Amino acid sequence: MDILINILSMTVPFSVALLLASLGEMFNQRSGVFNLGCEGIMAVGAFIGMLVPFSVGQGGAVAGGWNWLGLLLACVAGALLGLLFGLVVVTFRAPQGIAGIGLQMFGVGVAGTLFRHFVGGTQSIPGMSTTPIPLLSKIPVIGRIFFSHSIIVYLAFLFVPLAWYILFKTPWGLRVRAVGTHPRAADSMGINVNRTRYEALAVGGALAGLAGAYLSVCQVKMFSDELIAGRGFIAVALVYFGHWNPVKIMLGALLFSFAQTIQYNVQGLGMNVPYEFFVMLPYVVVVVVLAFTSRNQKTGPAALGKPFNREMRT
Amino acid sequence: MKKALSIAALLVLCLATVFASGSAEEAATAASDEGQYKVALIIENTIDDRGWCQAMHEGILGAMEQLPGKIHYEYSERMTTVDSESIARQYIADGFDLIIAHGSQYRNMVSDLSAEFPDVSFAFGTSSDIIGDNVFTYMPESEETGYLSGLLAGMLTKTNNIGLVGPVDSGDAARYNRGFILGVEAVNPDATVNVAYTGSFSDYVRSGELATTQILAGADVLTGSSQQAIGALRACAEYEDVLWLGQDLAQLDTPEGQAKCVAASAYNYTAVVVGLIESLDAGVTGGVCIPMNFNNDGFIFDYNSALADVVTDEMRQTVDEAIASFRASAGVLSNWADVQI
Repeated sequence: MDILINILSMTVPFSVALLLASLGEMFNQRSGVFNLGCEGIMAVGAFIGMLVPFSVGQGGAVAGGWNWLGLLLACVAGALLGLLFGLVVVTFRAPQGIAGIGLQMFGVGVAGTLFRHFVGGTQSIPGMSTTPIPLLSKIPVIGRIFFSHSIIVYLAFLFVPLAWYILFKTPWGLRVRAVGTHPRAADSMGINVNRTRYEALAVGGALAGLAGAYLSVCQVKMFSDELIAGRGFIAVALVYFGHWNPVKIMLGALLFSFAQTIQYNVQGLGMNVPYEFFVMLPYVVVVVVLAFTSRNQKTGPAALGKPFNREMRT
Repeated sequence: MKKALSIAALLVLCLATVFASGSAEEAATAASDEGQYKVALIIENTIDDRGWCQAMHEGILGAMEQLPGKIHYEYSERMTTVDSESIARQYIADGFDLIIAHGSQYRNMVSDLSAEFPDVSFAFGTSSDIIGDNVFTYMPESEETGYLSGLLAGMLTKTNNIGLVGPVDSGDAARYNRGFILGVEAVNPDATVNVAYTGSFSDYVRSGELATTQILAGADVLTGSSQQAIGALRACAEYEDVLWLGQDLAQLDTPEGQAKCVAASAYNYTAVVVGLIESLDAGVTGGVCIPMNFNNDGFIFDYNSALADVVTDEMRQTVDEAIASFRASAGVLSNWADVQI
């Protein structure tokens, strides 16, 4: 029972970076823009997030507000990179896949270069500590699993219903879905397709930046060039896994982290199975589930990846 | 117009990839003189990664201090296996005498280029293979450093639950892990060593998650190797009663290392590089594997003075005896490969 509680209590915080990044990617894709640059935005977010508390405290402890400022600036940097991506793929209508790869390289490269210039070698910070919720964290089993984490963890999961509400119950969400499904029809209804896509990219970028900063400020509390290590691409996969639905994306992020945490625990049991099998287990789980659920992809944005040009018949 | 702007914007993003590619730096600007060897280092991470790459970089700097004026040194960071051949060819074209490709992943590149350029010497490791007359290899016999960490872990643990965060089960990491288990078994047969791998040399997040998992499962002493271990060490710092044993002295310089790392060992690449230069001086351009062990000063071991009160005299004596036996002769732990993980 203890092992199961341990696994579940780790699954929740370990899933947050993926959850935030994939929710951001969901907004991008719902507007019809496929952003493979999520990894690069996360890298910049991770760097900016740790740079603020590191610069203030010179590696030592700082007041909590500086961590929050780091997270906020990571969101801003992410939003700006989202807008830059919008300039390339929305205004200039560059191929989204290629531009996304460019953004990924740009983000990882810039973060690494600035890190070397302003910080130096691999560096840790005290970061943001956990904030158990009074009373709720004392509930047996449930308290450890859900209510003994950093504030960002709670906010990330609270954002899931909010994202669902924004997407499906607000005029802005309707516009985002419209431009991602049938931009020409949306345009004929007076919706500014490009502006809506820019807005979605800014929101998506901000969430990806926050996801990166969560890793560097809240989870590992350090930064290195390779901190993100492919999690941006996993986030993109989780959007497909979750069929562009915030709740299903959350379940996908939890499933991936659950499988990851299980393999960490099972490796320690000394089973006579090659460790490589356990390491690849989370990816196999996602691929298998994706394969079995791909038949329902009719809910995906029909105009995903297609640039919009109101002067051309598409 | 828009098409031109689009192409321009794409070009900007493509040019930005330059940021993502490796950087090449000169550590010594003196021109190559008579009797001076031009040495290049190719690494997959950075010279300040507090691990594998930093150790070799500092080893070369140490050799430059020991052999003043003898080495002209340049390095290239973040070189993937694919990119490494291009930069190696550049160094060859610039007249470099010795190219150190620091990682066994560069084996194929070294094998190809060494055959094409027999007048240039290469070195790569970890490997004990002899792959050409102009190729040196080096193999840290890390079971010795792992054994010392294991001795301490076995004596320090209160829960008899010890965690080991490994990158992959190969090369010097495999030797370190097995030596660690031998060390624990030598002083505390009741202790359990939970070995798990991240599958990566540089995924700090995953190593932190793995360490957290082991700590929550009851581990109170942990260790790990390669640069990814920094993530695990950082995770240990979040828990009050958890200690760490390092596989790189640079870890002691970090705040979390000061707080948690009882002792650490390190590879003394200075001895390796000095040996390479002396071999070149003697006309030997390769075909030799250089083992690294305490016997040939290939390893360094040190305690964290900030945690001196954690280590008892008995522990120090046990470790000192082991080091003395390693210094007396190489191959003391030749049974390391028999350890099943």
